[in-house]
Amino acid sequence: MRNPKPQTTNTKETPKTKLQTASWSRGALWGFGDWNFFGVCCLVFSVWRCEAADLTPAQTQFFENKIRPVLAEHCYQCHSTRAEKVRGGLLLDTREGVLKGGETGPAVVPSDPEKSLLIKAVRYTDPDLQMPPKDKKLSAHQIADLETWVKLGAPDPRIASAAQKAWKDSSKDHWAWQPLTRPVVPETKDAAWPKTPVDNFILAKLEEKNLKPNPPADQRTLIRRTTFDLLGLPPTTAEVDAFLNDESPDAFAKVVDRLLASPRYGERWGRHWLDVARYSDTKGQIRRQREDPNYPYAWTYRDYVIKSFNDDKPYNIFIIEQLAADKLPATKRNPTNLTALGFLTVGDRFMGMPNDIINDRIDVVTKGFLGLTVSCARCHDHKFDPIPTKDYYSLHGIFASTTEPAVETVVQKIENTPDYLDYYKQRNQLEDKKEQLEKEFRDLRRTRDREKLREVQRAIRQNAGAVARLEMTHAGAPMRAMRVQDSTRPHDSPVFIRGEAQNRGPVVPRRFLEILSPPNRPALTNGSGRLELAHALVNPANPLTPRVMINRLWQHHFGEGFVTTPDDLGTMSEPPSHPELLDYLASRFVAEGWRLKQIHRLILLSSVYQQSSANNPRYAQVDPNNRLLWRANIQRLEFEALRDSLLAIGGSLDERMYGRPVNLERNPDSTRRTIYGTVDRSDVLDVLLNFDFANPDMPSGKRYKTFVPQQALFLMNSPVVVEQAKRVVSLKAFEDCVNDTARIQFLYERIYQRPARADELHLGLEFVAQTPITEMSMPAADAALPRSGDRPRRPGAQQMPRFQKNRPAATQKRAPLTGWQEYAHALLQANEASFVN
Amino acid sequence: MNAYDKHKQEPTARLADYFLTRRQFLNRAGMGFGALGLAALFGEGVFLNDAPAAQAAADSMLPRTPHFPAKAKHVVHIFAQGAPSHVDTWDPKPSLTKYDGKAISGADGVAMASPFKFSKHGQCGIEVSEVFPKLGEMVDDLCVVRSCYTDIPAHEVATVFMNTGSSRLARPSLGSWVLYGLGSENQNLPGYISLRPGGPPPGGSANWQSAFLPGTYQGVSINTKVTAVDQLIENIRNPYIPLKEQRRQLDLVHQLNELHAQNLQKDADLEARLQSYEMAFKMQTEATDAFNIAKEPAAVRDAYGRTSQGNQLLIARRLIERGVRFVQVWAGGWDHHQDIEDRLPERAKEIDQPLAAFIADLKQRNLFDETLVIWGGEFGRKPVKDRNGNDNPGRDHNAKAFTTLLAGGGVKGGTVYGATDEFGAAAIVDKVHIHDLHATMLALLGFDHKKLTYRYNGRDFRLTDVAGSVVKGIMA
Repeated sequence: MRNPKPQTTNTKETPKTKLQTASWSRGALWGFGDWNFFGVCCLVFSVWRCEAADLTPAQTQFFENKIRPVLAEHCYQCHSTRAEKVRGGLLLDTREGVLKGGETGPAVVPSDPEKSLLIKAVRYTDPDLQMPPKDKKLSAHQIADLETWVKLGAPDPRIASAAQKAWKDSSKDHWAWQPLTRPVVPETKDAAWPKTPVDNFILAKLEEKNLKPNPPADQRTLIRRTTFDLLGLPPTTAEVDAFLNDESPDAFAKVVDRLLASPRYGERWGRHWLDVARYSDTKGQIRRQREDPNYPYAWTYRDYVIKSFNDDKPYNIFIIEQLAADKLPATKRNPTNLTALGFLTVGDRFMGMPNDIINDRIDVVTKGFLGLTVSCARCHDHKFDPIPTKDYYSLHGIFASTTEPAVETVVQKIENTPDYLDYYKQRNQLEDKKEQLEKEFRDLRRTRDREKLREVQRAIRQNAGAVARLEMTHAGAPMRAMRVQDSTRPHDSPVFIRGEAQNRGPVVPRRFLEILSPPNRPALTNGSGRLELAHALVNPANPLTPRVMINRLWQHHFGEGFVTTPDDLGTMSEPPSHPELLDYLASRFVAEGWRLKQIHRLILLSSVYQQSSANNPRYAQVDPNNRLLWRANIQRLEFEALRDSLLAIGGSLDERMYGRPVNLERNPDSTRRTIYGTVDRSDVLDVLLNFDFANPDMPSGKRYKTFVPQQALFLMNSPVVVEQAKRVVSLKAFEDCVNDTARIQFLYERIYQRPARADELHLGLEFVAQTPITEMSMPAADAALPRSGDRPRRPGAQQMPRFQKNRPAATQKRAPLTGWQEYAHALLQANEASFVN
Repeated sequence: MNAYDKHKQEPTARLADYFLTRRQFLNRAGMGFGALGLAALFGEGVFLNDAPAAQAAADSMLPRTPHFPAKAKHVVHIFAQGAPSHVDTWDPKPSLTKYDGKAISGADGVAMASPFKFSKHGQCGIEVSEVFPKLGEMVDDLCVVRSCYTDIPAHEVATVFMNTGSSRLARPSLGSWVLYGLGSENQNLPGYISLRPGGPPPGGSANWQSAFLPGTYQGVSINTKVTAVDQLIENIRNPYIPLKEQRRQLDLVHQLNELHAQNLQKDADLEARLQSYEMAFKMQTEATDAFNIAKEPAAVRDAYGRTSQGNQLLIARRLIERGVRFVQVWAGGWDHHQDIEDRLPERAKEIDQPLAAFIADLKQRNLFDETLVIWGGEFGRKPVKDRNGNDNPGRDHNAKAFTTLLAGGGVKGGTVYGATDEFGAAAIVDKVHIHDLHATMLALLGFDHKKLTYRYNGRDFRLTDVAGSVVKGIMA
């Protein structure tokens, strides 16, 4: 049951409660009775705020002596935030709880005992409402005291529930929104270990706990670790040798600089950002009767990201472009800048529901750049962080004032090549047809001829599909940007009470978040306000933007960030492991021009990055999760790095950059880097799902790490893997090896970037020698199993390695492997090929 | 005896002179790995059942006894994702018909009568909507919990909440907890399998994640859109070499891993990956058989309906039969904001006959009493017209009331538990929160939900967090 509308006479704003708004009082109506578990969180705000200071000492004394003891002794067991199960949704341990009441309404109407359910209950006059229950009626004077208390207006010094207090405090005290500082680099006892200031911060913490960092990793481990880290690929044998033979003191720095300058860097680190940007080449939820599911030009955003990382574009510019490239003067000169706006537009389309699309954009902007879960404030004030619903709708206004042109903007210079002219003709034909069909549809709607309507709808859908196909495949189709633009009439949004669009509260100006703004924050009035929003995000006074990015960077280098929840630095996140170092790096990041490569360099040249990953059982007791970094973490390769490295080892990696995505399911023989594979959010490839690919429906700054058997099956059985094993032993360098020992050494160098040890050599020699000369013979039990074949095999498909379901080819028998092929395949399956230590 | 079993009896003699045998090695690795998960289990003294302790510590997937004896040993959770309208299916509200089109108190908007007729079924006389004719016939086996409620009426959050008891933070799923508590009765198949007819559901792998529980307790998600057995699980067979030869190759992989791990000393991830290889190897023979519904007699296949959901439930039965602990069957599409009159019956039809056939089949095989069957969504729907529905109305989200069906092991069949208000807007009598539902499911499997805990980051976590009460009225 809904509670009656509260009286709002006490909602006078005081400086202390200036966050409070009328919308909250409406929000407080939302079915609290159901929020047993979250009750504490939801009771955060209430309208009947009456500060303790308002009470006279006598009132306080009366409450403390007469009322609180009765409530505590007879009521709290079932009606407090500490109750094991809150009965009737009623909480009596806060003033708010008493006044708001439970499922049957307010427990107390101040000054009116006759209307107060609490009084009625304790009087035992109503057989259906008797409290405390089970004939534990209060004494007559206890009842009289309660009546007096209500008559007095129920003075109550308990101003806030615990959660409310926490919320209020958090708005002031939570570390993440404190100004950025530049902490002093700490002194350490061991002066020799630190190579950079980063090390001082790390070592100081270790020394506090009497821990010592590991010794440095050997050079082979180090170059392998760094190359995978920066490029997502293994180093070549030549690169390893060059490093080993370079005796200059800056040998490693040279490696780092070489890697940072490699175009492969953007393909690796750009993918990390695409996880945050919930990148997909498809629209997700759409009206399939009318729309085509593809984004033919999402890839232009992906390419923008790769290029930005390779160019070391300052992060503040990167942010501004992704939010408001259309409003920058530079874009006039260089329209490809518009592709940056894909950050906003590559999200799900939610059946065209505008408020869901806006929510997605608020979500990606605030989680991505600020590490704040602002989208939680869509229906109610954020339960943990100081983000009122009004702030959400301030951002809502910005994105509600942002539109997309009907046709994506061409961002390349058009030349009248025959390809282009052909494309142009076809596209125009399709556009004409679209117009004609839509007119037909409009006319038919009046007649309500359902059959005919469906038919036209189908034609519209087919036409949309034809447009998408043309854009995705035609050689003459020019590059386009999934841009946005300001609407012609930018406007503020009202608060949607409980998130319901039809339930409108007060209109709120377009503004940045209160918690990150100076007092009297200005309204954003330049068009939609996107550009101003972007400037607020990168304002040096906003500490979250650099902290969030530095945390992401650290996480990818070390396997875990300072804060373990990269998209949420709010009060629910665990405190950072090294807050001073986080601030040190973040402040340098800002001061030195927001350039990532400098920070990479600083981190990689530190001792902490270069230490070995060896375990230490004693330390593992003290710090089991290695939060203090006494060792390097062993890291599992993500799917992209795993597949790309298999291709590199097999010598088949196609290094072409950029361009339209490749559907890895339909083109399993493609050897493009995995970042160029199509991401379909409505049907993510199983192989990606199995390997913990980032969810393309939400910002995912951190991937899960699972070890399901399907991962093993991929490495054991997939032609994608086995064919690379076959390739590596058909390389000329392998064939040139003089003997079996040399062959094994070659494979170890190629796959693990190190020589085989004696025991490993022995294992390999034995294995190859014992390989039976087999014919392809499946066990009888297997032969009885049904073969695939419910789909016709595509001509020429049988030799193609395939990734995914529905692939007859993968289950076709293939020529048995030779001993060397099997051996190379075993090396690719072993842990060492999937982990970096 | 298959190639693998045969091979197990042939120690790799020559290599053994230099290295641990595979068996020794696996035992060791298993011990190390098991100890990780079970240290918390036993070390904290929260999971005490003396006898199997030592044995269980050797392999974290071996079957274990719960806190107290219980009938249910397996779970099949049919997830009607999208939030089915309870007032159109299992919770009849004549008042909605009476006030159809009129504003009603306690809800924003005008009442919308259910377009479907309800009638009494079975001995118990429970009213069931006409959209479930076959399930109606089984109603004496069902416990209809009409008073469920949840926290947040948004699909993804609520879906993950239903599966993990947590709406925000990564927490282990119900199936992972069950597997952690009970182990599996089949060491050659994953103990927790999630079947989905296509792409991932909202929330994706968060729905079957093991979170901080060891990775081996994670659900294995399988796309059943594919029908050919050897394509159902991708890469389930090796097209190049026979199993026996692959066994030899895998032994080499394990030995290489052992040498690799020696340098790094114990690492949980490395060992988890090793175990996944053994499971994968065994799945190659076992899973192709388990998933091969073509082996079922035609009559059985017809009974299930030869449809997507029919096939999923038939696979579920074959998995349960083989000792798989927890099977989740995704049967979604219930988000009917509009066109409820046309679209809801379509969804109902998809599951009605298959689920009825599934229950009948379990009974026939004496599996019904040891299997807990659950059907339900992540929340319910409002009694009023969704304002976006216009001419073809539907209903909006409602976290305050929905119906969940339970059946099988330990469940009191032919019962209605709890009630919503006059219009079905909110549960009011004997309310059952998701945490209560979870606590009850665990109780049906023999666990005290407060004691099935796992220590992580210095805190003992449990499925029900700090809440949950067992709903005794559901239990037989």
